[in-house]
Amino acid sequence: MELLIIPLVFGLISLILPSSWSKLIGGVGAIASLALACVHLNGFDPLTQTILASSNKMAFGLTFNFGYDAFGLVMVMLTNAIIPIILLSNWNRELANNKLFTALVFFMQLGLLGLFTAQDGMLFYIFWEFTLIPIFLLLYWFGAKENNKVLFKFFIYTLIGSLAMLLALIALGSSANSFAYADLKNVQLTQEVACWIMSGFLLAFAIKIPLFPFHTWQPATYTSSPMAGTMLLSALMLKMALFGMIKWMLPLTSEGIEIMKWPVIILGTIGIIYGAIIAIKQNDIKTLFAFASISHLGLIAAGIMLFNTAAWSGAVIQIINHSLISIGLFLAADILEKRSGTRNLSELGGIAKLAPRFGFWFAVTVFAALSIPFSAGFIGEFILIKELFNFHLIVGILAATSLILGAVYMLRSYQLSMFGAPKISSFEDLSWNEIAVFIILSLLILGIGLCSSQIIEYTEPAFRVLTENLTSNQQIIE
Amino acid sequence: MDALIVIFLTGLIGLFVGMLKKPMLNLLVTMIGLVLAFFLQLNNGLYTSPLAKYQVLEFNISQLYFSLLAIAFCMLIVLAGYQYFKRDAIHTGDYYGLLLFSLCGAICLIGFTDLFMFFLGLEILSIPIYVMVGIKKQDVLSAEASIKYFFTGAFATAILLFGIALLYGATGSFNLVEIRGIIQSGEYQPTFLFIGILFILGAFLFKVGAVPFHFWGPDVYQGAPEIVTAFMATVVKLAALLAFFKLFNGTFQDLAYFWIGALYFAIILSLFVGYLGALKQTKFKRLLAYSSISNTGYALFALLSLSNSAIGSLWIFLVGYGCATIALLTISMAIHNENDEISSFKGIGYKNPFIGFIMIISLLSLAGIPPLTGFFGKFALLMNAYPQHLYLVILALISSAIGAFLYLRLIVLSLSKDTDTESVAMSSWHYIVLGICAVGILGAWLVVAI
Repeated sequence: MELLIIPLVFGLISLILPSSWSKLIGGVGAIASLALACVHLNGFDPLTQTILASSNKMAFGLTFNFGYDAFGLVMVMLTNAIIPIILLSNWNRELANNKLFTALVFFMQLGLLGLFTAQDGMLFYIFWEFTLIPIFLLLYWFGAKENNKVLFKFFIYTLIGSLAMLLALIALGSSANSFAYADLKNVQLTQEVACWIMSGFLLAFAIKIPLFPFHTWQPATYTSSPMAGTMLLSALMLKMALFGMIKWMLPLTSEGIEIMKWPVIILGTIGIIYGAIIAIKQNDIKTLFAFASISHLGLIAAGIMLFNTAAWSGAVIQIINHSLISIGLFLAADILEKRSGTRNLSELGGIAKLAPRFGFWFAVTVFAALSIPFSAGFIGEFILIKELFNFHLIVGILAATSLILGAVYMLRSYQLSMFGAPKISSFEDLSWNEIAVFIILSLLILGIGLCSSQIIEYTEPAFRVLTENLTSNQQIIE
Repeated sequence: MDALIVIFLTGLIGLFVGMLKKPMLNLLVTMIGLVLAFFLQLNNGLYTSPLAKYQVLEFNISQLYFSLLAIAFCMLIVLAGYQYFKRDAIHTGDYYGLLLFSLCGAICLIGFTDLFMFFLGLEILSIPIYVMVGIKKQDVLSAEASIKYFFTGAFATAILLFGIALLYGATGSFNLVEIRGIIQSGEYQPTFLFIGILFILGAFLFKVGAVPFHFWGPDVYQGAPEIVTAFMATVVKLAALLAFFKLFNGTFQDLAYFWIGALYFAIILSLFVGYLGALKQTKFKRLLAYSSISNTGYALFALLSLSNSAIGSLWIFLVGYGCATIALLTISMAIHNENDEISSFKGIGYKNPFIGFIMIISLLSLAGIPPLTGFFGKFALLMNAYPQHLYLVILALISSAIGAFLYLRLIVLSLSKDTDTESVAMSSWHYIVLGICAVGILGAWLVVAI
């Protein structure tokens, strides 16, 4: 439980104390959470599950169950590692000196950790919705002015998705008479009902990821958000949906997988190509990265729908990798915007000469985003594309184009902004905290790329438990 | 029963204390009376009342909870209105007296076992409100609201009375248990009974302010002083809803096939008319009136379950709804929003973080965002209705999304950074009321955990 209490306490403290303290509180709180997560990691045996809290039934079938398996722990680690990086990248900015900002980041962390450790359907939903409040306030207070329209779109979109999920959970819970994860998993559904319930979940997740036709909120929200908001959204909030698919949607409604598999994989594949093509034509660098994100996540979502442990291992690595590179990319985009005054690629150029350190680290991030060998993305994308090939040849081929198209838009954005004749007179180079962020990210990406087999082995038992339902179902059918 | 007597006597004393023109004394008397009533009600059943033994008022456990809630809401309203009453020193006593008499009616309406008591309760509840709505005598809107409410209300009462008369004609009894027995045995006059039930249903829909009998709502809410609006939106609605629940879900349960269709119709319309109507409003109290129509639609889900299990859900829902409504109206009073414009909320939340916090949680609670009480209320009501009424639940969720948009606009407005509002100096009474409301809005966890 301390996992959840620490962010809550630090969030409240930073609300109470004056803003001059918030940097300190932010730093201490984030490091404390990370250290605690490491302690949990250290004492965890991947073959088991840890229960953090459990209690009997409460009113309306709710239970108060928290716990994690290996996959949940990986997500907890990811959250607790990303939050300090986000705070560090804001260290020299005015935001870090704002108590509201620090408090909201901690509340966000609380929501995410609760979501990743919830073992009860209603708790999952509660934390899912709860995260919406801090992110909304963050975007509203610290985002671009006059972004109300964008924010409303974002909020209402995600809320509609969540309500569909609520309906799905009510349907599941009322047949189980309880919302505890184990009880929900035991419910036997007919294929038709399972499809309906799965589409309820799917609407929520597809909007958040976002899958192809539900993505319209995303680019505008990314561009009008403050950097920290974009980072939280792309690095952590989208992962909630992917986590939800693996941990909640597919195991609970595995009866409907055979029917629902195709539409989602097709949408994911369309997203891969569509996102990449739009990104190639984009001149606004933040919008470009937003569409790149749609492209990357389409691949992960399609892979997850294959519902086998191998694809999920790839998905986990790609989830971690995408979190790391999106932080790097959006930091770079924000540095470009803040110091040159424009996000438009056609007005940028030659910055590598003015700011060589930035040029170098931006290049490193771009190469990581291209998934060159030895980076985490290489392993992740390779596994996912391989599994998609196994599933269907055409899907595999289409998914594999993401590698080529990705290279096109990433290199194009780098080339237009960094090389060529300088169009800007002066450009301040990186400050120490930004270099630190880039170094940490590169080391993590490299480290995960090299140790990916350990991560795959680590999460595999958990995935085997989660996919159990399907295999047993298939046996029944056979 | 003792609580009822205490409340009535306190109201009477309040009228006389009001002549001294010492608002503080008046507040003190009223609060002591209410606290006493609260504890008497809390201990109801643990001792035999020396004062009265009547068969027509009975409180079982769930009705006790509702009456406690009504008394608690009334306390909050009395506290929140102190500043307002003080300004109008001549009428302070009248306010307190009328509020308490109306509360008597609410308690009768919660505890009745007999249609006679039910009608008395409803009238005791309504008549003081007709007066209080028009208490701003110089204000045209207030007078208009009072007249409108009185005439429509009187008409609804007449229809209700007609319905009760027909019901008596059909079954030959006033007692709820007996009526139910007769309905179950089938020895009744069907035509009279059905018309009677339909009339009673119509009168109830009027009292709780559900579509299609909602037209009085926005005008009356807007014309009445904030404090009376708060009373109408919480205590009156609570009492009427409980009576509705008791009569239809209890007594007429076996005739559900007959009235449930009409209720369906009313719920669907309420859910959408309320929120869609609220979208275009520029006056704050009008907006609240429309949103309360939709909230009534949600509360009526309790009647659909046709079992007593929904009563707990209704209670939690009303806690969330009532606390949020009182908090919002208190804020509106605290910022001296005389002309009732929504735009005068701009930026107050950012200027005054406490108000901002209360605004956020109460509006999000109304919107049904977890982990606030409003969410648990809606969730529990939908959970109860889900197995039989899937499509209604889907419609409710859709309307909930519209509502969220509505409330979100208010949140955004009040948290806006660029503003020319000066920071608000609130009286300590308002802080107390808002603090208690915040506990109510955040405290659902405790109830759920029990």
